[in-house]
Amino acid sequence: MGKLISTTLTRALLALLIIVALGPILWTVLGAFKELRDIVTPVPKLIFEPTLDNFATILRNPTIRDGLMHSVIVVSASVLIGAVLGIPAAHTLARHARRWGDDVQFFVLSLRFMPPVAIAIPFIVIYLDLGIYDTLFGLILVYLITTISTVIWLAVPAFERVPHDIEEAAAMEGCGPAEVFWRFSLPLAAPSLFGALVFTFVLVWNELLLALTLAAQNATLPVVAASITSLGKEVPWGVINAATVLLVLPPLVFIGLLMGLLNTMVRSGPK
Amino acid sequence: MAHIHCTDIVKSYGAHPVISGLNLDIPNHEFVVFLGPSGCGKSTMLRMIAGLEEVTGGRIEIGGTDVTDLPPGERGVAMVFQSYALYPHMSVADNITFGLRRQGVSKADIAPRLKQVAEVLGLENFLDRRPKNLSGGQQQRVAMARAMIKTPKVFLFDEPLSNLDAKLREKLRTEIRRMHLKLKTTTIFVTHDQLEAMTIADRIVLMRDGMIEQMGTPDEIFERPASRFVADFIGTPAMNFITAQLEPGLIAHSGSIRLQLSEVEFPSLKPGQEVELGLRPARMDLCEPGSANALTGEVVLVENMGAEGQVITEVDGAEISFVTQGFRDLSIGDTVHFTIRPEHIHVFDPKTGRSLRKD
Repeated sequence: MGKLISTTLTRALLALLIIVALGPILWTVLGAFKELRDIVTPVPKLIFEPTLDNFATILRNPTIRDGLMHSVIVVSASVLIGAVLGIPAAHTLARHARRWGDDVQFFVLSLRFMPPVAIAIPFIVIYLDLGIYDTLFGLILVYLITTISTVIWLAVPAFERVPHDIEEAAAMEGCGPAEVFWRFSLPLAAPSLFGALVFTFVLVWNELLLALTLAAQNATLPVVAASITSLGKEVPWGVINAATVLLVLPPLVFIGLLMGLLNTMVRSGPK
Repeated sequence: MAHIHCTDIVKSYGAHPVISGLNLDIPNHEFVVFLGPSGCGKSTMLRMIAGLEEVTGGRIEIGGTDVTDLPPGERGVAMVFQSYALYPHMSVADNITFGLRRQGVSKADIAPRLKQVAEVLGLENFLDRRPKNLSGGQQQRVAMARAMIKTPKVFLFDEPLSNLDAKLREKLRTEIRRMHLKLKTTTIFVTHDQLEAMTIADRIVLMRDGMIEQMGTPDEIFERPASRFVADFIGTPAMNFITAQLEPGLIAHSGSIRLQLSEVEFPSLKPGQEVELGLRPARMDLCEPGSANALTGEVVLVENMGAEGQVITEVDGAEISFVTQGFRDLSIGDTVHFTIRPEHIHVFDPKTGRSLRKD
């Protein structure tokens, strides 16, 4: 009996938490499909005639369209370069420089402690001097600090979990260090590395402050979405909601993929 | 044709020496076991021969070629790891043939070789599986197949059986020994299990603190241990040790114990000398009171081992154990008489621990 009560209570609590967590997202998604008059009614409407006007407005708006394009370019470039530079570095740290590994890893992580505001203003000055202020290249460059450090931080443990014996067995069969990395370490660490890249992607995709300070015409989607709110009294709630949905979609898809991957990994189980 | 020749091998990690000046010759076709307690340097020695660990000093030759500076893949050796180290992202067949495929051996040549090793090791039905879907014993066989298919000059085994249960360990031990009798490939096998070493080896290299304590056939190691350490390490139940004083006529005396020693084996012993005697439990047995070399003690414990039993007795306040088939008639508190033949008594220098047997 007591067990039944505690189970019921736990379930009720979980349900409440889910409502609290998903409520705002649901409301935003609903809002994205509502016309303005359905949104600003005193009595919230759950039943309404859905419209795609808001999305049409966004995608027809060149500022938002450019913002989306910039986001895709900047984020994919910085994650890709971060992976190309960070993953081999992480392997080397995990295997060949374990002595300094902890220190280097902490240094890399400490880059993440730093509040972006602290570097934003110096960066404006430096970027103006270098002539890369308000360029996609400039944004990619500053995001590389985040992506490389995050990739290294998450990939070192991924490579440490690859059994050393397997790399040695490969070496016994004549594989050189590069071949061991490509054919054994990388495929074996791949699931964890994919997770690291998704996390890094989400981190940079949502970044607002640096994009806001270092770019004007070439701003990314978070900046554009934020600027819609300052259009005056006549706030286009539907459009904002639609923009938010668009902004949240890629990270959600990636995290969905990640969860799926984690689930299959757990199901097949470590040996 | 691969004899192994190690000269003045030194290995140190930073200032900490692990192996200091080790010399070792392993003739072609021999099955050698590196035996010793953990931390004695046996695995390090094996890994240096494999090329996975660099030597700090000295040279290693395999089959007449100096391999000291060659990478592991070019030494013509194959290794079986304690953890099996199978490639989890490849099927069993791909695991076994990886080395050959990498060398560019044609598919037509690989197929019959794969079939042959799979047959020898009983893996025909598992070739398409992933390693994680195999039992520990099957995984170990895949690891052996992967080493065998390359027909290397030397097999290296790094404690390959220590992750298996006792029964399987015994079975695979026999299989490895049989395979060696058939293939005759020079083999080095590392273990800390003295029984495993005794049963499988042509020769045992017993190591301690990075040095070779004794090198010899299992019989030599068991019957003529070069030191107290070797005598203590080899044999179950473990050897009894007694400090004794020598009396004229080569009698060792300690309390109530008076034992006649072998003049043939220990011609250098002098009366008045203090020595340490080593008595193997398995070399002693019950006797009539008053027999030659008899010891008398009180039974403290009887351990049933099936066919025989270990009897632990108290003699002059110290515990001495012996093994007998007649253990079932003994009970705790009984007075027992047991004896050992002079040629089975080991005598060690109490200071250096070296055997005082003539060479």
